[in-house]
Amino acid sequence: MADVILESQPDINADLSSDQIQQQDLQTEEMLVNMGPQHPATHGVLRVVLRTDGEMVLEAVPHIGYLHRCAEKIGETVAPYQYIPYTDRMDYLAGMNNNLAFAQAVEKLTGLEAEITERTKLIRIVFAELNRIASHLVSFGTYGLDLGAFTPFLYAFREREYILDLFESACGARLTYSYITVGGVTDDLPERFVDITREFLDYFEPKVHEYNLLLSHNHIFIKRTANVGVITAQEALDYGLSGPVLRGSGVNFDLRKQPGSGYEDFDFNVPVGQGEKGKVGDCWDRYIVRVSEMLESVKIIRQALDKLDGTEGQETLHKKGKTLKLPADEIYYEIENPRGQLGFFVRGNGSAIPDRVKARGPSFCNLCVTEKVCQDVLLGDVAAIIGSIDVVMGEVDR
Amino acid sequence: MASITLPWVQRDTEKLSNYRERAIRLLAIIALAHIPIILGAWLLLDPLSTKPADLQDWKVLLVPPLCLGSIGGMLLFAGAAFAIYAYELIGRVLSAPWVAFVIFIGAIFGIVIGVWLHAEILMTVQRDWMPAKETSVIPVVGIEYDHTVQSIYQNNLAGKSVDFPLIGAISIDTPILAYLMFPLQFPLIRDLVGVGGIIGFISLIPGFGIWWERKVAGRIQSRMGPMRAGGWHGWAQSAADGIKLAFKEDYVPPGGDGLLFRLAPYITFIPPICAFIALPFATAWVFRDLDVALIFILAMLGIEVMGVILAGWASNNKWSVYGAMREACQMVSYEIPMGMALLIPVMTAGSLSLTGIAEAQSGGFWTWFVFVNPWCFLAFFLYYVASLASCKRAPFDLPESESELVAGFLTEYSGFRWSMFFFGEYVAMYVVCGLAAILFLGGWMSPFPASSAEWFIAQANIENGMLQTLVKSLLAANPIWFILKATFLFFVQLWIRWTLPRIRIDQVLYACVQVLLPATMVVLLCNTVWTLGVSENGLNLGWLIALDGIINKILAAAGLLTLLGIVGIAAYGYRNNKKLVGWLAVDQLPGK
Amino acid sequence: MDDLAFYIFAAISVGSAFGVVVSQNIVRTALFLLGTLGGVAGLYFLLDANLIAVIQLIVYAGGTLILIVFGIMLTSKSPWAEFKPPKGQIVLAALVGLLMFIGITSLTLSGDVNWAARATKTPLATSPKVAEAGEALLTTYLVPFEVASVLLLVVMIGAAYLAKTEK
Repeated sequence: MADVILESQPDINADLSSDQIQQQDLQTEEMLVNMGPQHPATHGVLRVVLRTDGEMVLEAVPHIGYLHRCAEKIGETVAPYQYIPYTDRMDYLAGMNNNLAFAQAVEKLTGLEAEITERTKLIRIVFAELNRIASHLVSFGTYGLDLGAFTPFLYAFREREYILDLFESACGARLTYSYITVGGVTDDLPERFVDITREFLDYFEPKVHEYNLLLSHNHIFIKRTANVGVITAQEALDYGLSGPVLRGSGVNFDLRKQPGSGYEDFDFNVPVGQGEKGKVGDCWDRYIVRVSEMLESVKIIRQALDKLDGTEGQETLHKKGKTLKLPADEIYYEIENPRGQLGFFVRGNGSAIPDRVKARGPSFCNLCVTEKVCQDVLLGDVAAIIGSIDVVMGEVDR
Repeated sequence: MASITLPWVQRDTEKLSNYRERAIRLLAIIALAHIPIILGAWLLLDPLSTKPADLQDWKVLLVPPLCLGSIGGMLLFAGAAFAIYAYELIGRVLSAPWVAFVIFIGAIFGIVIGVWLHAEILMTVQRDWMPAKETSVIPVVGIEYDHTVQSIYQNNLAGKSVDFPLIGAISIDTPILAYLMFPLQFPLIRDLVGVGGIIGFISLIPGFGIWWERKVAGRIQSRMGPMRAGGWHGWAQSAADGIKLAFKEDYVPPGGDGLLFRLAPYITFIPPICAFIALPFATAWVFRDLDVALIFILAMLGIEVMGVILAGWASNNKWSVYGAMREACQMVSYEIPMGMALLIPVMTAGSLSLTGIAEAQSGGFWTWFVFVNPWCFLAFFLYYVASLASCKRAPFDLPESESELVAGFLTEYSGFRWSMFFFGEYVAMYVVCGLAAILFLGGWMSPFPASSAEWFIAQANIENGMLQTLVKSLLAANPIWFILKATFLFFVQLWIRWTLPRIRIDQVLYACVQVLLPATMVVLLCNTVWTLGVSENGLNLGWLIALDGIINKILAAAGLLTLLGIVGIAAYGYRNNKKLVGWLAVDQLPGK
Repeated sequence: MDDLAFYIFAAISVGSAFGVVVSQNIVRTALFLLGTLGGVAGLYFLLDANLIAVIQLIVYAGGTLILIVFGIMLTSKSPWAEFKPPKGQIVLAALVGLLMFIGITSLTLSGDVNWAARATKTPLATSPKVAEAGEALLTTYLVPFEVASVLLLVVMIGAAYLAKTEK
């Protein structure tokens, strides 16, 4: 057996049982390595099969589906207001944003949108942006953890605890909120919420500069992430990427700046990767876009809190939210999730229960660029690249 | 600690009290059984008699076990019986938080004093017993020895007393001490006692290191670290971890080489312990004062690599093999800049002997090699970084993290074998920090100048001889300084681990070969020229000597300021952190 | 006491050397080689030749052996290779070994080679100092020292060149 050398490369897409791998390994120079479904560092249940030649990764193929829960099929059996908790569990780190996307999709479909009050809109924006900060904190912390910096993870989670306390005071839950629902939000803000949120923002803003000192400008971190996993702007557009991954490659596109997003009256910048430490579109750019977005979200929340002053007493939950009948029409509506463009396609058929619900998960679309980017990189870079794409498997598999 | 009960653990109180009574009875019987032995031994052997005819050498084999051991045994069993009888009371006393702390600190003090006492005794023996009177022979084995019990007692103990500082003079005029000190005249026994001391100290290192690492990690990450195991700040965490690991499943990967798998942890664990043979804690506090001590320690750290390779190989996992090779490559590559950086203080001191090098740094912290020479200053940092990589500590801990992606050499190890690897790692870290302390930071020399001891004694009017020696040693040269310095460097290694991200393997090797190695060579060259210029046997350039002096003072001042700065920043941050963290108090939120 | 130590180290060296020759698993061979080198280093320590002993440890056990093991591991099939010499070769090798053993032992134990006399010819008054060895290397034996250094440098350059991957 030692003298037989096969002409072909090992089949990376084969269903790899251990003896198959062993056989293939002995016959070729290259090896198939399994970054298995269980990872020590987050990202959920993602399996990446790497074809490596020594230290060099020649090809990487993600295998997904470990977290599939038939969410879209369930959408055909329950009413929209009942479906909101299912949207929570898709991107479980950004529950408010998921709720918002679906709620707004259904509201636009049924024409309820025009009856949503100003207060509801502002509350939704506050919570969506707070959740953006929380989600980016997780991504920032776990990215450091992937690369071996154990401390920023705990700092990020310390901040996140305060945000989760705020969420808990509003809706009683820390991770899967189901707070933003069809017709508004389930409950009005608790008393003193605005003041405490302002205190939190005052506390949090200097922390981001601390994180930059600790991790972003750390020489070792830069060496691990700059010029690694470069996605050019054209590639990003070709692969349909969105969110910080797209903006890290230099493309200035944010759904929140598009007309009709609801953010028209807010003054904030959209951070775009500029290749500060390496090439435009490398891991460091994507990472720094997320960190800068946290500061922008702080701005948005402050403005929203100011605007909330005059809107006391407005109704925050539309009475028709629970008794909607969907018209025989379809809609596809996208918003800017922390991970990219989250879209919901809802098709009604006249009854209360939709005909078809489809979620366009940004992580699912962003993950497909792994194959292109993880070519001819070192093994340690694979962790850096997947961390910078910031996937949440709940969204990929649904 | 005692208040947490697990609901699903059923405690059958009937059965337990039954067991308890039986245990108390058994232990009491065994304790009482010692009494006839004690009576018989003391009456027959008569160890307290000072008559020369009674001081027989054969009694050395019998007096310690039968006379002293039986008393000790009786106390032990009686104490155990009492502990089981009064377990509730003891539990209540132990669960008070300060008790555990007192025990902990007391144990440390006890170990320190015990080590100091036994070292003093050993040195006394070596110093004062050398002139031999007559030679006797042990029958059967035929080993010659010089000091009989009689001569020991009459020459060293009869009529003498030791002057303790607070207690006053305590007479040591008893033959029992002669019986106990008789074996100490054999070098083998002295070596064994020394080995016992070394192993005692070494066992403290991982014990303390594990707890301390987790505390430091916690504090850096704005959390507390272990708080539960043992009560006060989780001081028993190391013990708890050790016990847990010992009870894990003993798994050997099938198909791998079983013998090598079982052997590899020990090949990694034993060499750093052997390095302590040559590592001096003070001028006479070294197991063997080798004149090639430095190379010996480096050799020991080099043999460790073999264990790593064997561990990877024996795991029957192709990726373990490659992980182990990569890691061995890192360890071996960094030995080169490490060794070369160590040559620089050797050159400045002119000797490879570690005791000699440390003694060249006596007289105050400005004589420490790290300050004495700009090249030694650079060499310190080069050595420290290289040693971090050689110990596979962060940021060079890719071998440990490799387990996240693919199998590293440690993947198949669990339980006690895994802990062997980590004990070895902690001990190697301490050896490396100890080397840095001796070569660069003055080893056991105190930072105070030599005359400070006399000044202090004169100021405080200390008359007691023993206290005078203690003060003199503390202010001039004492193993405590060595331990403090080595532990401080260990501490810095812990800081670095929890702050910096990991470096990729190609960057690791790049840093070694293209950065550290040329830098070390350049510094070595410059130091050679500098030493040549400054020394009296060489060129003896006056201006260079003056420049050397100026740089020495600047570096010393900078070092002192850095230390004060670190302490100051730590204190400031600690004070302010309490303010910031407690700021956004949870109970301000509505609905809480 | 010294005798006991000598016997222990000699047993380790000889036993490990035997293991090197007899073992059929190449990695175990490397392990036994470690034992041999360590045993010989111990013997050097007993001869009061500290410098040679630590150099033996650091160069052979900590360097050359690692290199050998690297070579074993990184060449494609070698780690899993097994030596299975035919029975005839084993018998022949054992015979030759036995003959050599008999020859050397009888020569040593006979009166023709007077080891005792040779041994006590020039006893050392004090144990050798490292400083003397260093001075000797840089004065009396300077040329061989430099030649060895240049040779090692050539070897390193050659190895680096050969190992350079074609891109």
